[in-house]
Amino acid sequence: MQPALRQELRHLDQVVLALLDERARLLAGVVAGDPGRGAAVEDLLARHAGPFPARGIVEVFEAIDRHCAGFARETGEAALP
Amino acid sequence: MILRFAAGTPEQGVQAVRERLEREGLRVLRSPEEARPILAVAGKMPAKLAEELRARPEIAEMIAPMGELLLVARAMREAPAARSAVVDVGGVRVGGDEVVVIAGPCSVEGRDAVLEVARSVAECGAHVLRGGAFKPRTSPYAFQGFGVEGLRQLKDAGEAVGLPVVSEIMDASDLGSFLEHGIDCLQIGARNMQNFTLLKAVARANRPVLLKRGLAATAEEWLYAAEYLFEGGCEQVILCERGIRTFEKATRNTLDLTVLPLLREWSHVPVIVDPAHAAGIARIIPPLARASIAAGADGVAVEVHLNPAEARSDGPQALLPQELAGIVSDARIQAAATGRSLHRSFR
Repeated sequence: MQPALRQELRHLDQVVLALLDERARLLAGVVAGDPGRGAAVEDLLARHAGPFPARGIVEVFEAIDRHCAGFARETGEAALP
Repeated sequence: MILRFAAGTPEQGVQAVRERLEREGLRVLRSPEEARPILAVAGKMPAKLAEELRARPEIAEMIAPMGELLLVARAMREAPAARSAVVDVGGVRVGGDEVVVIAGPCSVEGRDAVLEVARSVAECGAHVLRGGAFKPRTSPYAFQGFGVEGLRQLKDAGEAVGLPVVSEIMDASDLGSFLEHGIDCLQIGARNMQNFTLLKAVARANRPVLLKRGLAATAEEWLYAAEYLFEGGCEQVILCERGIRTFEKATRNTLDLTVLPLLREWSHVPVIVDPAHAAGIARIIPPLARASIAAGADGVAVEVHLNPAEARSDGPQALLPQELAGIVSDARIQAAATGRSLHRSFR
């Protein structure tokens, strides 16, 4: 792999991670679930025109939701008196 | 000249240098920086004295400032190169690693109206409520603002939704009203950027100041205006780029984003961008706001109205609440993409 490509991928990874952190921060302490989440991911898939495989998208968002929910639960519990 | 001492230099060492400089008739200013002592020397330092100071082991660096920009100079603080210092506006950190969104009506148009906008602003995740009570208008027949009553309504609205407030002060004689009503941040507007009497008076108020760039001010002149504030005792200054006059007529002003990375090099003072006054056209504000954060702005300030067509001032550049929500969301993404994060909102 070319060094420039490797560097670009690392920068993109940093941005992806920063956005995941922002998503987690938004959900800090929010214990209530999102009933429209499944439909929202389906909508994302329907609008998606890029090369990332659809199956992968579902898996990525499932993982994001699972980890964000865990973080939200932990921060919510921590905030309890 | 800016003298940066080695970290851990004992106070008596700093004082000895200070006294030496003052014996030469030079004015010495001190940075509030805690990580290391930093002094700035106003006036021309004799070459022999400079040589003598360079030989002192406790002085780690001697940095020539840009002109006489001393207290605003980056060398006066220890903030990392890509970051500004932090200013606390009623609990909201402006600068550093976080990005903020300031929003609200151009003019406070009444108690219910400002409260309604404040609710939208808070719901959208913005961090500071803005609103004009004293309005500098080009035409004497245009709405001039509700004055002190407007300040009261703005502050009440801010308190109701849990947001600090910023409002423009045009006359030093109104300062008491701004303080009495707990306005968290005093805005000095573009037209008053070089009103030195006002700058000196506001500097003594011990409140954060949002200093807008003058309509035709160079970046250097703008920083000198900020220097007035610092010199007067105000160390909580935020700069606000709001567009400058150029030959371009398609927009109200020309948004000067080129100044953002330069200011970051020259100064530690945080800088936000007001794309609304630059553009004067609501629909082009979102991309300008995105570009501002991407170029390193510490935040954006925009105007919001529930019915822009009915706004008493600057309706064409007012955003609807749903458009503000988009600005906040974009700011979050741009902040993350540039290694920062959106200030944690009160929601």
